Parts: sequence; C-alpha cells; structure tokens
Amino acid sequence: MQSLIVDCDCHNYWSSATVLEPYLTGVWKDMFVNGERTGPVGSYPHAHRAWFHPQGFSRRDIRPEKEDDNYRFMKEKHLDRYDIGIAILTGDEPMEASTLANPYYASALVSAYNDYQIEQWLSKDDRFMGSIVIAPQDPRLAAAEIRRLGAHPRMVQVLASHGSVKPYGDPFYHPIYEACAEVGLPFAIHLGGQGGINWNAIAPAPTTFFWETHAILHMPALAHLASMIAHGVFEKWPALYFVLIECGVAWVPSVLWRLDADYKALRKETPWLKMLPSEYCRRNIRFSTQPLERPDNLKHLWGILEAMDGENTLLFASDYPHWDYDDANTLHIPPAWKSKVLGLNALEVYKRIPRSRAAHAA
Amino acid sequence: MAERTFVCRTEEIKVGMPRIAKIRQLSIGVFRIGDCFYALLNICPHRGAPLCEGTQCGTTAPVSRAEFIYHRENEIIRCAWHGWEFDIKSGEALAAPGVKARTFPVTVEDGAVYVTA
Repeated sequence: MQSLIVDCDCHNYWSSATVLEPYLTGVWKDMFVNGERTGPVGSYPHAHRAWFHPQGFSRRDIRPEKEDDNYRFMKEKHLDRYDIGIAILTGDEPMEASTLANPYYASALVSAYNDYQIEQWLSKDDRFMGSIVIAPQDPRLAAAEIRRLGAHPRMVQVLASHGSVKPYGDPFYHPIYEACAEVGLPFAIHLGGQGGINWNAIAPAPTTFFWETHAILHMPALAHLASMIAHGVFEKWPALYFVLIECGVAWVPSVLWRLDADYKALRKETPWLKMLPSEYCRRNIRFSTQPLERPDNLKHLWGILEAMDGENTLLFASDYPHWDYDDANTLHIPPAWKSKVLGLNALEVYKRIPRSRAAHAA
Repeated sequence: MAERTFVCRTEEIKVGMPRIAKIRQLSIGVFRIGDCFYALLNICPHRGAPLCEGTQCGTTAPVSRAEFIYHRENEIIRCAWHGWEFDIKSGEALAAPGVKARTFPVTVEDGAVYVTA
C-alpha cells in the first residue's frame, strides 16, 4: 500500500527571470528591466555568494529550454515518476532577494514572484502547494506580504533564506512570526541567501572551495535554531512551526545536548523560557531530510535520528532538480518510519494540505 | 546469456554526445572517445541516477601541490544527478574506491557499433 508522499522542497524553476516582468510595476519594473544584474540577461537581481558551483546546480538530465519545459520535466521526471502526492514549491532564486541591501526592491521582487507562483505554477497542477517567499531584511514589509497572501488556501508556509542579517530569533524579526501566527502558517528557512548583506554564512570567514563550503553551509542553521529557542519565539507563539529546509539533520542532537546543558546552568539569562531547549525543538521545529547524511554504516545515522525523534520530526524533501537530489524510493531511514517521514509528519505542520489527500493516497 | 546487439552507425555517436540505447531491458550509454567506443549501464552505482545523461568531460590530475592539470579529456562521465565521476573505459568511480559502473563490451564492424549485453 502506497502512502502519501509530500515533497517539502520542490524547486519550480524558470528559464529566465523575465517571467516576473508582468508582475512588477513602476520603479521596480524599471529597475528590473534596466538595472544591473548578477550574470547575463534573464538573471534575477541578487548579491552573489563567494562560491560558484563548479558544474551548475541542476541535474544534467533536466535541461529545460522553453518556460513550459520546467513544469513538463518536473511532472515527468519527478512528480509522476515517484508518485509525489503533494509538492511544496520553494522557488529557487526568489529567496536570494534577502541578499539585497535595498529592502524595498527586495520586497517588490518577492511579491512579484509570489504572484507569478500563484498564477503560473499553482494553477498547473493540484499537487502543488505554495510558499510565501519573503525578504526578511525588512520584517515589517515581510509581515505585510505575509498578510497580503496569508489567506490563500494553497499557500502553506512562509519562506526565507537561511542566510540573514541576524539570527532569526532576534526580536528584530518578531513581526514576521506575529504575522505567521495570525495567518496560521509555519515559518521555514531554506539553505541560501549567502552574500550581499548576509555576509557571514561561514562563521570564521568564507571557506575556499564549493564542496568544502556546501558540506558545512548549514552552519547558520545552528545559530537560527539556538536563537529561535533562546529568544522565546515559541513561548510567544507556541503553535508556530519553524521548518529547516536543506540544512542537514545529523548535527541536530549534538547541538540540542549542548543547548540543554548550558541552559540548565545559565537559565537566569532567559527567564522567559519554561522548557528545555530540546523540548521546544521537539514541539516546534521540523527538519527536511535532503540531503540526508549517509555514513557507510547506516546504523550510525539511525542512532542519531532516533536521538532527535526523527520518526516525528523529519519531513521528506527531494530538492528537485538540484545536483544533490534525494529520491523518495531510496530514502535511507528506518523502514518503520516511512509513512510518517514521507508524508504524515508534513500534514501536522502544513495544515492547509487537505487531509483527504492522505486518505486518497492510502 | 549475453548477446550482441546492433546500436547504430559509428558516425552517429559524437564525442560528448553518447548514444543511450535500449538493449533488451537495459538502458546503456555508448560513448566515443577518439575512434574507440565504450558502453556503460545508464544507472549510477551511487544512487541509481541516469549516469550516461551527465557530462562527458575530463578532470584534474592527482597532484602533490596546488596545480591544476586538466587531463583525460572526454574519458570521464560525470553523473547527471550528484556529479560523481567515472572512468568511461573501466567504469571505476574516481573518488570512491571499489565503486564501479557496469561496463559492456563494444565491437565495431563495417562502421556499425554493437554492444554485447
């Protein structure tokens, strides 16, 4: 019996960022059409990171030429092939607006993307759910965007890059969580947004090579997890889910052990907390699987996943169509966890996914 | 029981453009390196991706200092998904000792390419 598969990280690509032109107006359209870009015509305005992928981000068997190819290939090579019941669209370049110093332009770009996503993607396939992409560098504008689209029944989360100007628990960002709580959506961060104003992705200083960097690029996620818990975000908004997408998994228990130990000694710094850091994590934070670490001895991984209650805290993600894609059929988790990790856990977090889908898949 | 199957004419396989052929139930990539032909199963031993739909390329030679010698041009297939590099001639993975893509014998007769699979 096949249970529901929810892919929590499915990138809807464009062949050219010019698809956003109809969704921009006034000075933002002027700047988008006439302004400087990173890269050639058709690229999306963002500050580039310090590392270039040596062979490009996309799988080589997916080479869209026309805009329509982007959906056609996704349907054929991913959604239909792996029987994906729900795919949560995470865009790709749009969240890179978080790197721009000009928060007004950044906000206009993500708004244009969100409208494009609704009109050009959600309409194509009823398996698609959307993400409200925000430019978090101006939390008040981000909150306004969340409220603008928060009632849309197929928008299932608010999404920002994991690159940011501060750790996400900082009160600076709280208007974002207030808006999330108001519209009832989780706040998710996805690996990305390094460069520009988010200069410190790698704590000591930028590393040198792409693979070296990519393997440790989840570093800011450790800080976000600690910060969200320490600042009491989950005391202010107890029902808020915080989802870490593509930020790795195997580091989580060791960081929680350290947070619990230090909190027990120095609780007086954050008197607003009422539970251990690991208890907030278990209640409010979820982790997407891809790219799931793969030691030679899988029992080593599974022990770690048990330590973070992975059966209930992991959400399957493919990262289609990127070079480090995980496929749903060969996800290396304990077999007894599959129905939860591949789909049911996502239904707990993403409450707008119709429950009937799970029943239908079963 | 392995049998010899006609794939195509030699001129139909260009360097960098392997022919992906269905031979019985198998998807097999047939590559040209210079005037020689090689065949690999189109399934990557790493995670099952379409290996032969990646990039036929060269790679950097092992060195003992920061020196970048690009060599073995067109002798390497870089898997379409995760980018693992394989020696097209032997099927061996460059950075994972003991991992090997399945190879098949190729013969050329009168300008016709055959794979034994």
